[in-house]
Amino acid sequence: MLKGIITLLVFQFLGECIAKLFELLVPGPVIGMVLLLIFLIIRKSSFASLDTAVFIHLRYLPMLFIPAAMGIITQIDIISKEFWAIFTALVLGTIIALAFCAKLMDYLTIKQESKK
Amino acid sequence: MNFDALIEYITNTPLVWLLLTLGSFKLGIIIYEKCNKHTLLQPIIISYVIIMSVIFMTGVSYEEYFKGVEIIHFFLGPATVALALPLYNNLKHIKSLFLPIMITLVVAGVFSILIAVALLWALDAQLPTILSMTTKSITAPIAIITSEQIGAIPSLAVGFVIITGIIGALLGTAIFKVMKIKHDTSKGFALGVVSHGIGTARAIEISEKAAAFSALAMGLSGIFTAVFLPLIIQFLKG
Repeated sequence: MLKGIITLLVFQFLGECIAKLFELLVPGPVIGMVLLLIFLIIRKSSFASLDTAVFIHLRYLPMLFIPAAMGIITQIDIISKEFWAIFTALVLGTIIALAFCAKLMDYLTIKQESKK
Repeated sequence: MNFDALIEYITNTPLVWLLLTLGSFKLGIIIYEKCNKHTLLQPIIISYVIIMSVIFMTGVSYEEYFKGVEIIHFFLGPATVALALPLYNNLKHIKSLFLPIMITLVVAGVFSILIAVALLWALDAQLPTILSMTTKSITAPIAIITSEQIGAIPSLAVGFVIITGIIGALLGTAIFKVMKIKHDTSKGFALGVVSHGIGTARAIEISEKAAAFSALAMGLSGIFTAVFLPLIIQFLKG
């Protein structure tokens, strides 16, 4: 599993280095993610220790954002002042976006199928 | 017995906050699984309530808490890189519906940000809130690092991400019924684009195909948003 963890950290490190070197606005870990994806496509398969390392990271993924999420206690002012705007944007925004996205994908899929 | 030394240790060691965070999350998982994995009982919500109560009771500041659990925060980096693997495993599905996937990804991805921003703007929300809303549909680790990049408030951003995920997972099936969505691939893709990981967990219950397309959508929209959002915001600010 150590090889898998090292792989993840090396790709993160490469991503961060590239972001700094070329002054990119894309977050380093996301560049690392794209690099790992390209690496897997070229290699044509994953390997067992990477599978294990990824499994462990993603299984407890929600736990990893608790430290950042807890900062919400410092934002109570904003939330109470703008509660209804936030509430509307989240509820209505999500409903409209889901309906639009699914309908668009469905429409394009049906169109592609009818062409064949 | 030296109680002073004991209290001194407990109030200064990061171990207390680490144990509280790991333990409350484990408790969250146990409750979530006991209740048939109900969407509203996400382990992180249960964990949130427990940690928040302890922080309020002890009067510890957020900075002190964060310092104690900074090591957990660190793992967001490798976890983001790890997202490449599920994306790779589902990449084979991209070929069958390449154009619909790419068009929906870009158009619906941009649309879902714009509609939320427009609603906030119409209801007089302030700029930090609006910026923090722009990452609401992407998976939380990418949302946190991207929101740091664009000058939003990461904690608000994560909160919006979790709530968007829950709303999508709760209402998705009903919305697809009203909109008469035919293909499971469309349902899965929409859940992944709008409601990231929590939506993907819901898509697994629709079908295997829906789950695969949801995972694919979540990975692609995470990358798409992280690449273009900071550019667009810098352009608008400049």
